[in-house]
Amino acid sequence: MVAGRQKSIAFFIALGAGLICVVILLYVGWVLLNWRQKILLVLGALLMAAIVSGVVLNTIFLVREIRRNAQHDAFINAVTHELKTPIASIRLYLETLQTRAVDDAKRLEFYRIMLDDSERLLGTIEQVLRTGRIGATSRRLNITRIDLGGVIEQCVERVRTIHKVGPEALQYRPGPQVTIVGDADEIQAAVSNLIDNAVKFSGSEVRVTVEAASVDGKYVALRVTDHGPGIEKTELKRIFKRFYRVPGALAMRVKGTGLGLYIVRSVAKRHGGRAWAESEGPGHGATFVLQLPMVK
Amino acid sequence: MSRILVVEDEQHLAEGLRFNLEAEGYQVQVVDTGEAALEALRPELAPFDVVILDVMLPGIDGFSVMTEMRHGGQFVPTLMLTARGHPDDVLKGFAAGADDYLTKPFELAILIARISGLLRRREWLRASMDPVIQPAAGPPAGGDETFAFGDKTMYFDRLELHVRGQIFPLTLMEANVLRYLIRHEGKPVSRKAMLEEVWGLHEDTDTRAIDNFIVRLRRYIEDDATHPRHLLTVRGVGYRFVAGAAAEEA
Repeated sequence: MVAGRQKSIAFFIALGAGLICVVILLYVGWVLLNWRQKILLVLGALLMAAIVSGVVLNTIFLVREIRRNAQHDAFINAVTHELKTPIASIRLYLETLQTRAVDDAKRLEFYRIMLDDSERLLGTIEQVLRTGRIGATSRRLNITRIDLGGVIEQCVERVRTIHKVGPEALQYRPGPQVTIVGDADEIQAAVSNLIDNAVKFSGSEVRVTVEAASVDGKYVALRVTDHGPGIEKTELKRIFKRFYRVPGALAMRVKGTGLGLYIVRSVAKRHGGRAWAESEGPGHGATFVLQLPMVK
Repeated sequence: MSRILVVEDEQHLAEGLRFNLEAEGYQVQVVDTGEAALEALRPELAPFDVVILDVMLPGIDGFSVMTEMRHGGQFVPTLMLTARGHPDDVLKGFAAGADDYLTKPFELAILIARISGLLRRREWLRASMDPVIQPAAGPPAGGDETFAFGDKTMYFDRLELHVRGQIFPLTLMEANVLRYLIRHEGKPVSRKAMLEEVWGLHEDTDTRAIDNFIVRLRRYIEDDATHPRHLLTVRGVGYRFVAGAAAEEA
C-alpha cells in the first residue's frame, strides 16, 4: 500500500519537474528569438525566476509533508505496538494467576515477567513524554554541574541489569574526571538511550564498549561502539530524525518508537554539543558519539 | 489431543499463551517468525488443528503468512492475534484468509473460547463432510466412497489411492480435487470453477495452487506423468478427467 502510494507520488513529482523543464526551454527559446527587447527581457527573467522558484518550493514542501505524514503513521503503529504488547502480556499473566492453580516457581517467574513488561511500558511512555518536552522550546533547562563519568556509570549499570549482560559484554572504560553543565535528567536520558540501543541492536552476541575522552580540551566525547548489524552510509544521518526507523527486517526484530536517537541529538544540540553515528557499513558494527562542551 | 501452533515473536506473550493452552489440554508449538511458521505448516509434517498468528513479526509479516498459507492449500483454522485493531487491519486479516481476529490486549477466557469455537467448527465440518458430499458427488461408478478406473482404485473415505497393490495416502484437499474431477468425468472443468467448488474461494486468486495439485495428482494416478492419460489438460480452460484411459492427449 505504502509502496503504491510512493510510486504515484514519484510519478507526479517527475511530471512536475518535466513540465518545469519544458517551461524553461520555451522561455530560453523566446529569449534567444527576442533578445533585442531589453526591458521586457529583464522583467520576464525576474517573473520567470519567481514562478519557477515558487513551484520548486511548493514541491519541496509537499514532498516533506507527505514524508512526515508517512513517518507519523509508522510512529503511531510502533507506539501502539510498544504500548499494547506489554499490557497484553501483563494482563495475560494476571488472568492466568487469577484463574489457574500456578505452582510457586512459576508464580515467581510470572511476577518477574510482569515487572519486566511494566518496565518496558514505562520506558516507552517516558520516551514519548520526553520527546514532547524537548519539542516545547519554551521549557527551560534545569542547569546544574554534572559529573559525566558518574552518569555514564549509572546508565551502564542500569542497561546491564535490564538486558542481563555482564561487564565483559558491555565494557565501560572511564576517561579522566569530566564535569559538564546541563540538565542532569536529559543528559542521563541521552546517554542511556545510546547504550541501550547498542545492546538492543547487537542481537544475541553483545560486545559493546563505552568510553569517554576529551577532545581538544574543550569537549568531552562519549563513544559507544557495538559489533552489531552496522548501518548503511545513507542511513547514518536519517536515523537521528524524529520517528525515523531504518526500513527492513531489523526494525521489525528490534522493537522501538523511533524516538531514541532524536532525543539524543536534541539533547546534544540544547547543550551546545552534537551527536553523530559512524559505521563502515552493514556487518561492521557502529559507533555512536555524543560530544558535549566540558567545564575546565 | 488438538495441536495448536502459536506464531508470536514477543517471548513473554508466547510463553504465557503456551502455559494457558497447555493447561487447557492442548499440545502447543511456538515459533517466532513467519518463515518458521510456514515451515512448520508444510503438508508432510504433523498437521495442526488451529494456528494463532501475530501480525508484526520479524521478516515476513502475519498478513503475508496468512495469504501464503491459503494459496498453498493450507486451510487450518487461523486466529490472528495482534495489537493492530484498526478496521482496515481487521479487514486485511480476513481478506488474507483469517477465520478470526482478536486484538491485544485480549481477555484470556475470550481467547480460549474462540479457539475452542474454531476447533468445534472443524469437528462439525469433519463430521458432516462425508454424509453430505457423498450423495451430491454421486461417483459415476463403484458406488459409495470408492471409485475404480483402470488398475487404480480411490478410497475417498480412507483418503487412499490404490495402484496395483501400492497405496498412496492423499491429503483431504487432493482427494477433494480428485472427487470433483471424477464427478465431472469427461467434461472439461475450469480452474475458476474448481477454486469455487472445491476451495469455496470466490475471488481472483492466483490459480497456480490448482496446477500444483494437478501435478501431485498426476504423480499418483498416471503411469507416465509427462504423458497423462487420465488427467488431461484442456488448453485455455482447465482440466478434464477421463476414466477410460483410452484417449490420448490431444
